Amino acid sequence: MNSKVYTLSDAIEKFVKSGDYVCFGGFTTNRKPYAAVSEILRQGQKDFIADAGPAGGDWDMLIGEGRVKAYINCYTANSGVTNVSRRFRSAIEKGELIFEDYSQGVAILLLHAAALGLPYLPVRLMMGSDLTDKWGISKEVRKTIEKLPDDKFVYVENPFNPGEKIVALPVPKLDLAIIHVQKASPDGTVSIEGDEFHDIDIAVAAKRVIVTCEELVSNEQIRKNPDSNSIPTFCVDAVVHAPYGAHPSQCYNYYDYDNQFLKVYDVASKTQEGFDDFVKEWVYDTGSHEAYLNKLGAMRLIDLKIVPGLGYSLITNKEVTK
Amino acid sequence: MADYTNEEMQAVTIARQIKDGQIVIVGTGLPLIGATLAKRCFAPNCKLIVESGFMDCTPIEVPRSVGDCRLMDNCAVQWPNMRFIGFITNEWLHDNNRMIAFIGGAQIDAYGNLNSTCIGDYHNPKTRFTGSGGANGIATYSNTIIMMQHQKRRFMDKIDYITSPGWVDGPGGRERKGLPGNRGPLMVVTDRGIMKFDEKTKRMYLAGYYENSSPEDIIENTGFDIDVSRAVLIEAPSLEIIRIMRQDIDPGHAFI
Repeated sequence: MNSKVYTLSDAIEKFVKSGDYVCFGGFTTNRKPYAAVSEILRQGQKDFIADAGPAGGDWDMLIGEGRVKAYINCYTANSGVTNVSRRFRSAIEKGELIFEDYSQGVAILLLHAAALGLPYLPVRLMMGSDLTDKWGISKEVRKTIEKLPDDKFVYVENPFNPGEKIVALPVPKLDLAIIHVQKASPDGTVSIEGDEFHDIDIAVAAKRVIVTCEELVSNEQIRKNPDSNSIPTFCVDAVVHAPYGAHPSQCYNYYDYDNQFLKVYDVASKTQEGFDDFVKEWVYDTGSHEAYLNKLGAMRLIDLKIVPGLGYSLITNKEVTK
Repeated sequence: MADYTNEEMQAVTIARQIKDGQIVIVGTGLPLIGATLAKRCFAPNCKLIVESGFMDCTPIEVPRSVGDCRLMDNCAVQWPNMRFIGFITNEWLHDNNRMIAFIGGAQIDAYGNLNSTCIGDYHNPKTRFTGSGGANGIATYSNTIIMMQHQKRRFMDKIDYITSPGWVDGPGGRERKGLPGNRGPLMVVTDRGIMKFDEKTKRMYLAGYYENSSPEDIIENTGFDIDVSRAVLIEAPSLEIIRIMRQDIDPGHAFI
């Protein structure tokens, strides 16, 4: 009763729509909802307005497959492996991507403002820089994109400190948030272990929320530890059991990033052809998250498991050479 | 020539700038190696924080990202990232002076304004980079030490995009833009030496050079006029410090 459990494909089909204003949880190579991203690629939804936050391969893949209509950037890299995500970089260098830049501080505060229901966000950030002096998306183009506000920001006078100029920003109106977490229950209660990043904010702010989880635990079980729970049932539309659903990124208390895989992506994504081959092999031809895991293989996934107390796998950096 | 690399000298130089008890904002790469070395050898009570929100970090293995579980599982508090920006803002509001940050970029001008966004025109760039990340907020509210590779094409009169403001256009420049005037870049640490900013003009000058470099070498590799009259030779690191860095701090040679 009252179950929000879906298969990955059913959840993506029901709750992800072309043209959505989308934000993912996680941080560059940590707890990124890769299984959901791959399923979106398979199903074909497109024209997203991306509120990308601290992004990595998740949005790079959607850019590489041409699914992004406008990209709101603050940082896009698989840090430590790919210094600048390559499909993101190529799309901007070739003039193929409509993009805007904010500082990470502003991007994150905007998501929090959305979660708090604030009418706009006042900050003393980005001043004296080209983040205010240059607009990635002009007012004219913004007017043609329904879901984007007409202004990147406006200067206003601080009403409580006359004469002080501050930056006021429009708060994003998210259609969809997708987060990958450690535990969720069928009724949609969520437990994030370790840092929440901006995940709780987007789960509150977005109209639709999909949660993929390492472990699906009973409603009774998850309520035993409300002090470690993060998001209540009514903020969640779909719960998907997707073990290793953040692979190749990390999942705190569960597994490390797959450095070898990230390196394969780094090399493949240098060219559109290499990228096309990569997504064909790892996204389209696998056909499902389960088949993707089988292709990776049991031992590979076991090797990625973190050592309790360390927070990382002992295997990962053995492969690291300069 | 002593047996160490330019990158190791840069990491040691970073470590030497950290004062005991300071709150140190680090990114991954050399700043983290330098800060870890400082905590180990020069400033045992410094506290490392990262823009993703992890506070008071003591990583065991070298992290590859500021959001890495190597930091998340070895810190005192796991704040969501929004609290990081709130915290550094409050450090300024409270007029505290205990924080230092390390940031980097692809291009820098004589006033320490930094570009980590693009080379060429912003809308049609020759090369596109990640974008600001936490750097703009950090450069707004914290004193900074800037990490750069010292090349003529990076030290420019006019940079292509200002991602993180330094002293803007000289004395009073920050205030005119609405930025805290009592915060800004303190120095630039490169693979050739240390640059500081003149108190009166806010322009970069050469404060010190490594034994692998010289004032002439630095003039040669700087794209704007730089005063070298105050430059001194910087002491080489001890063998013990180099050993600690290689064997204990970054044995996998992730960054050095």
